[in-house]
Amino acid sequence: MASTLFARTLRPSITAAESTGYICQSCRRQESTYRRTRKALRVKPDPSFLPSKTETQDHIIFNPPSSAPSVYHTPSLFLPQDDPRRRVHTRASSAGANPPSTPGISRVPSATATVPPTKDRTLLPSVRPTYEKKYHVTPEQVEEIRRLRQEDPRQWTRVRLAERFECSQFFISLCCSAPEVKAEHDKALEEIKKKWGRRKAEAREARKERKKLWGMDA
Amino acid sequence: MSPFITRDGSPTTGTAAKTGSYPTAMAVSKAVEEDYEPAPESHPPAPVEQVLHNRSTRHVAERPLYAPSHRKALHSAKLAALHARLSLPSKLPLQTLARCLIDSSADPRPGYNNAPLAILGQDLLGYYTAEYILCHYPRLPMAILFAAQYAYVGNATLAAMRSEWGVETVGAPGQEVEPGLLQLKRLMPGNAMLEGENIRVRDMPQARRLGSGRRNEAFDYRRGMSSRVVYDDQFGDLQTGLPPNDARPFFGAPISTPNTTSDVEGTSNEAQPQRDASALSVHDPPEGPQTVEDTEPTTVELASASFVRALAGALYLHAGATASKTFHKDHVLSRHVQLHTLFHFTHPTRDLSNLCKREGFEPPVARLISETGRLSRTPVFVVGVFSGEEKLGEAAGASLNEARIRAAAAALRSWYLYSPPETEICLPSDAEGLASISKGRGKANHKEANMPWKPQMIDIGEIIT
Repeated sequence: MASTLFARTLRPSITAAESTGYICQSCRRQESTYRRTRKALRVKPDPSFLPSKTETQDHIIFNPPSSAPSVYHTPSLFLPQDDPRRRVHTRASSAGANPPSTPGISRVPSATATVPPTKDRTLLPSVRPTYEKKYHVTPEQVEEIRRLRQEDPRQWTRVRLAERFECSQFFISLCCSAPEVKAEHDKALEEIKKKWGRRKAEAREARKERKKLWGMDA
Repeated sequence: MSPFITRDGSPTTGTAAKTGSYPTAMAVSKAVEEDYEPAPESHPPAPVEQVLHNRSTRHVAERPLYAPSHRKALHSAKLAALHARLSLPSKLPLQTLARCLIDSSADPRPGYNNAPLAILGQDLLGYYTAEYILCHYPRLPMAILFAAQYAYVGNATLAAMRSEWGVETVGAPGQEVEPGLLQLKRLMPGNAMLEGENIRVRDMPQARRLGSGRRNEAFDYRRGMSSRVVYDDQFGDLQTGLPPNDARPFFGAPISTPNTTSDVEGTSNEAQPQRDASALSVHDPPEGPQTVEDTEPTTVELASASFVRALAGALYLHAGATASKTFHKDHVLSRHVQLHTLFHFTHPTRDLSNLCKREGFEPPVARLISETGRLSRTPVFVVGVFSGEEKLGEAAGASLNEARIRAAAAALRSWYLYSPPETEICLPSDAEGLASISKGRGKANHKEANMPWKPQMIDIGEIIT
């Protein structure tokens, strides 16, 4: 993880707002489908995928990603209390503020590695907005949610109710439901899906299959 | 030119069982020694009626043989080579090795085939494998345990083992074939054409296999993981081929009929002793197929698995628990199973937050560690899942969502694949019998007595999705 050795200001920015500065949104061109799906895919393969010139016989190619951590190295939080490796980890982390010698990051690094860890240091950016669970909806409000949804399910959708009561859409779905509206929506969606051509339908199907592989490490 | 390698040319291994120093081995092979009288070569296998007639009137010696006689085993080069190639102990005689190669489809009589040995071997292999997995990976979910168990000692693995050992199969079983081959009656392939008909075998209506009659075999029974643990076999699969509930445990076993004395007492007292005598009669004609024509044909995979299991059972009987454990270590545990590929999470993020809640950790947060090419066609995001300051898992993905979900799955995998330190692991089969050894022999086995039983880690269970 060499990128963590640099200060954050030296790394390319990860927020989309800053990237608008150097990317011209208006002059981006829509690529034609042929170019996008055929020509752009013709990339020269990595040399490790090509037949070897030095090895004359069959041999095993082992070329894992350089920085993928092994799942067999249990994080110290997951070790049981009486595991001796836990003591080693805590001793190593309390020995000094210098970064660990292993390439993987075992802890959230601070913005600059030399600064000793403090409470209010800059953490790595979260992928999704963080929030605290507030548990603030009262039973009366739940009753009101149900009443609103019952009276006009088209006006008071899940999104609008969640915005009004400042809770998650999932919580709204726990409180109430509108099955007849959902059936209508499903029917309309089916109508839309019928109009899809073969390529679009297959692309959607392939995307679903790819998503299944996320949980399989494949 | 035979590719087999022998340690020494002469098969001297068959003499151990005849010395009489191994009572357990002798007890098993006694029946074989009595029954295995060579039938005249000219006699074809007798029909059922003749066999039954022979049983009642003539001497036992005239039973037909459907597989090569054990006397041929001593002169078989293939058997001696196999014995040497597997480095089997000399306590295991070649005759027993030959019997391990006789599948129950080739000879249905349990005194002749490898079925009794295979039952013992299946339990032994299952026990050794299960204790190894459980002690080394105490947090594995039940489904992964079943899959790992099947990967180590399932039918497919044992069949691969058989072919790696260089054991070949017969075309058709018979008395005259080489005893070093795996004797089985082959199942006709499903896409073969039936003789005289214009129809394939698989298209024929077939009778359903008899199950155990347990309620989990009903078509509408919901087979959850608990049901698999309670009802099913060591791989979580349905136990097919079990005898029905009212079947006898072994041939000739007395069957106790449900007692209806309250009805019988009033009617007639003379019928009572007759009923008892018939209920407890031991000399009933044996059930099940008795000739090779009546047996169900089997696949090479099933027959190979039963051969390897029977060999493990025979090793246990002839050479003891240590030999069977060494066999298991050399041939089963030496195969590398990639446990982390067995997992399939459908909702890894939800499971991980449930896990953190259960264990009292801080709720997991996905953080971006590094990225490249966000606006390109092939971006890569490296996302780590953190609980507080501790990193639980890390993964790369082509989108933020993909990397986040993959990282959560990696964190769950590293939770489930926790392994205690090697010094803390003590298998139950290593520790069993140590107390008696240290008591009986005093300080003779001091080294073994130094290894006391350590309580192994038991996890409270997996995360239920």
